[in-house]
Amino acid sequence: MQVLDDLWIRIAVWFRGLLESFLPPWAVQLTMDVLGILLLIVLGIVVVLAFTYMERKVIARVGDRIGPNRAGPFGIFQAIADAIKMLTKEDVTPTNADRWLFLAAPIVVIIPAVLLYAVLPFGRGMVGVDLNIAVVFVVAMGGIPILTMLMAGWASNNKYALLGAFRTVAQLISYEVPMVVALLTVVLLAGTMSTVGIVEAQASFPFALVTPVAFVVYMLAGLAELNRTPFDLLEADSEIVAGYFIEYSGMKFAMFFLAEYINLFMVAGMITTLFLAGWQWPILPSWLWFLIKVVVVIFLMMWIRATFPRFRIDQMLGFAWKALVPVSLVNLFLVALVAKVLEPGWARTGVLFVSNLALLAGAIAIMAQVARKREERARAAGEAAIKRYYGSEVR
Amino acid sequence: MYGKGIAKGLWVTLKHIWGTYAKDIKKFPRRYAPGGIAKRTDYDLYGLFTLQYPEERYEMFPRFRGALMHLRNPETGEPNCTACGACERACPHGVISLEGEGKGKDRKVTAYRYDLGRCIFCRLCVESCNFNAIELSREYELSRYKKDFILELDDLLKIGDKYGIHKTGEAWGVTE
Amino acid sequence: MLKTETITINMGPQHPSTHGVFRMVLTLNGETIVDLKPMFGYLHRGLEKTSESRTYLQAVPFTDRLDYICSMSNNFAYAVAVEKLAGIEVPLRAEYIRVIMAELTRLVNHMLAVGFLFNDLGAWYTPVVYAFRERERILDLFEMASGSRMMCNYIRPGGVAADLPAEFLPQLRKMIPHLENFVREIRFYLSDNEIFKARAVGVGFLPADMAVAYSITGPVLRASGVKYDVRKAEPYSIYDQFEFDVPTQVAGDVYARYLQRLDEMDESLKILRQAVERIPDGEYATKVPSRLRPPKGEAYARIEAPKGELGFYLVSDGSPNPYRWRNRPPSLINLSALREMCLGHKVADVVTILGSIDITLADVDR
Ligand code: SF4
Ligand code: SF4
Repeated sequence: MQVLDDLWIRIAVWFRGLLESFLPPWAVQLTMDVLGILLLIVLGIVVVLAFTYMERKVIARVGDRIGPNRAGPFGIFQAIADAIKMLTKEDVTPTNADRWLFLAAPIVVIIPAVLLYAVLPFGRGMVGVDLNIAVVFVVAMGGIPILTMLMAGWASNNKYALLGAFRTVAQLISYEVPMVVALLTVVLLAGTMSTVGIVEAQASFPFALVTPVAFVVYMLAGLAELNRTPFDLLEADSEIVAGYFIEYSGMKFAMFFLAEYINLFMVAGMITTLFLAGWQWPILPSWLWFLIKVVVVIFLMMWIRATFPRFRIDQMLGFAWKALVPVSLVNLFLVALVAKVLEPGWARTGVLFVSNLALLAGAIAIMAQVARKREERARAAGEAAIKRYYGSEVR
Repeated sequence: MYGKGIAKGLWVTLKHIWGTYAKDIKKFPRRYAPGGIAKRTDYDLYGLFTLQYPEERYEMFPRFRGALMHLRNPETGEPNCTACGACERACPHGVISLEGEGKGKDRKVTAYRYDLGRCIFCRLCVESCNFNAIELSREYELSRYKKDFILELDDLLKIGDKYGIHKTGEAWGVTE
Repeated sequence: MLKTETITINMGPQHPSTHGVFRMVLTLNGETIVDLKPMFGYLHRGLEKTSESRTYLQAVPFTDRLDYICSMSNNFAYAVAVEKLAGIEVPLRAEYIRVIMAELTRLVNHMLAVGFLFNDLGAWYTPVVYAFRERERILDLFEMASGSRMMCNYIRPGGVAADLPAEFLPQLRKMIPHLENFVREIRFYLSDNEIFKARAVGVGFLPADMAVAYSITGPVLRASGVKYDVRKAEPYSIYDQFEFDVPTQVAGDVYARYLQRLDEMDESLKILRQAVERIPDGEYATKVPSRLRPPKGEAYARIEAPKGELGFYLVSDGSPNPYRWRNRPPSLINLSALREMCLGHKVADVVTILGSIDITLADVDR
């Protein structure tokens, strides 16, 4: 067990030893770092291949279909076939596009996505850098794609792209707020900003149990950050066709695609790290636990995507500002209070869990009330019109 | 309760995911079975329903309206067509053009051109024919690499030979 | 100086959710619609004029192509018009077959309408696929009876093209409970969905009086609360012998239209159940000469097609070709209220509203 748990670390240590036998120390460090970076990038690409395949399968299965089944056994090479198609496709730049911005956007979008992997603890002792402000790093890096999407949308010189870019900025910036507040809640509970520290703080209870509200808020905000249904307005294909990357094709489009799935893994990884106790939990090796949890979270996201329609942009922003932000702020206050009064342990978890559920129920009740009002209004308008037409109450 | 609809939706789609896998397992190692008409009538709400086309094919219903074919007289082996021209007049798109020779009972078709590319498979031509000479076949893979969509009498007879029928409208309950 | 500008967007003719080659010129203030101009005609095939140079029978396949989703209803309306013009009696069995086919068509159409509404709402094809699955099965029945899945050319002046095959009725009997299940599942899956409600409730409101003023018909009208259904208002064929309700909604918004369609599917299934039980034996058609020469005169016949009132106006001058062949397409006329419904809403709503009107561009442009 121990061997399996440490598998990757042992390989690294052994490899380092191998290098040290014939290289000076600085060269060893350099090689290891470069290799680490390469490994993460390769991981990123593998993740994309795996999860595009998975996404197709899940969506197909929801629709009673088989999904990709031509390329290779069970269609597992479908993603590779797609990649080849993407790479060999004609690369079109619209005539009046802002050339440099248009070129730069897909490159800039991928960098923060890959950089984020550095702070993700994949297993016990398996983290690129154990930054003590990892959480801040995640938030900061998560902000860059917004800029690139605006770049892409603006540079394309296409109205749909521009609309998509408008939406991007409005949506992502609004959802950044509840996300950060939810993060803050976790940081308060863990008492550290390092991702490794946060995972270690969840040894007894995953934070999803301690503060379900923060979990739900982070999950929803994560869906919004990823532009996934029900928040996939940026690329709502039935409204603004493909949003900000409508004009991109071939390799450049593939870059956006790549970034999207790398981010998917990243957000799922962050949810796992922050709320589902990361690589903790017994029996299985730590890295396997991490992977399992990530896949489950991603499956949940795909399942949601395959099931629901999307929100409208104003509703979505309203949801962020009127529902998620207040709820997460109240939750932050609550957590701060309880964490101050009670020591970590059963009592604290219990109190927080119950109060969180109450908070959630309250928020849902208010939302239900609002929805009912809307329905009543719509009904009243209809009734008035019917009365106008028939001259009396006829049903 | 607010949120119930979301939970219901997720439940339905989960059942569908499970249903497809259940069907997969039931059919294990399997996949491509040639499906017949029976397959189309297998109703259950969950489970795979798509057809893996080139490997699996549905059997067409007997009335299926595909490309036109000419039928032969079972005794003489000659085409039944008497070049009366009724089909030519009945066709709403002028798809058919024909030539014949002879008079009265001896009249025979010499050339029959059928423009597959313009045919809408309405079967009005067949309905107008009183000599059991033509019928729509169950051919449905009609694409061509070249634009040779005009089928001559021989081609039409060849299709007819595949089906080995000598009477029009058997599947339609209207043999004359 | 800070100033805002409206932008003009051409939605379509190539756009994923305009249901065909339909173009809307949107003037947007941010994302809010200030003006909307529908433009159509990209699919104009001149079917009316073409049909005038064909015989009455030859025009039947053309009606298939008006609203290709409900070809059976189109055949039906045309057949009724020709029969009215020429004074043809239709045998009872044929009437039953026609009713069965028309109600199946209504099911097909409403399934697709509901499914594609969700597609427009961004539900990633899942409701559409469920709808398609059931639709395919109904199309199987059509293929079994008429030889073609969509271009049925089955209901003819005087009756139907051929009698039902032997397997048809047992198959349909097996299918009805299945379809009821499907409607139930769709209700369970989508009706309560909060996201859908947020998108649909109060959106695209069409007041009852305005709907009547625009002569909107079909589910869109009934969703606004006007109880008008040609099957009840002016019974044709044998609809007066069936027991069914005309469901209506109150709110007149996208959500009401969605519910309306589901309710209508239930009613159609009710009619189907009765028809399958009572269908008599007998002739399936009266013989009509292929070169029919109706007496001089004119006739207008209308039926309740799935999308609304479908009418055919035929003028005969005594020759085998109609002198005038005119069609009242429900899609086109329902579309005329699009602008009123959309003003003040967001871009995303335009798509939803268009989906909820349920048009077929082939029917709009003819
Ligand atoms: S196919 Fe039939 S209708 Fe046509 S020319 Fe021959 S015999 Fe006459
Ligand atoms: S099927 Fe219809 S279109 Fe084709 S040849 Fe016969 S009559 Fe003409």
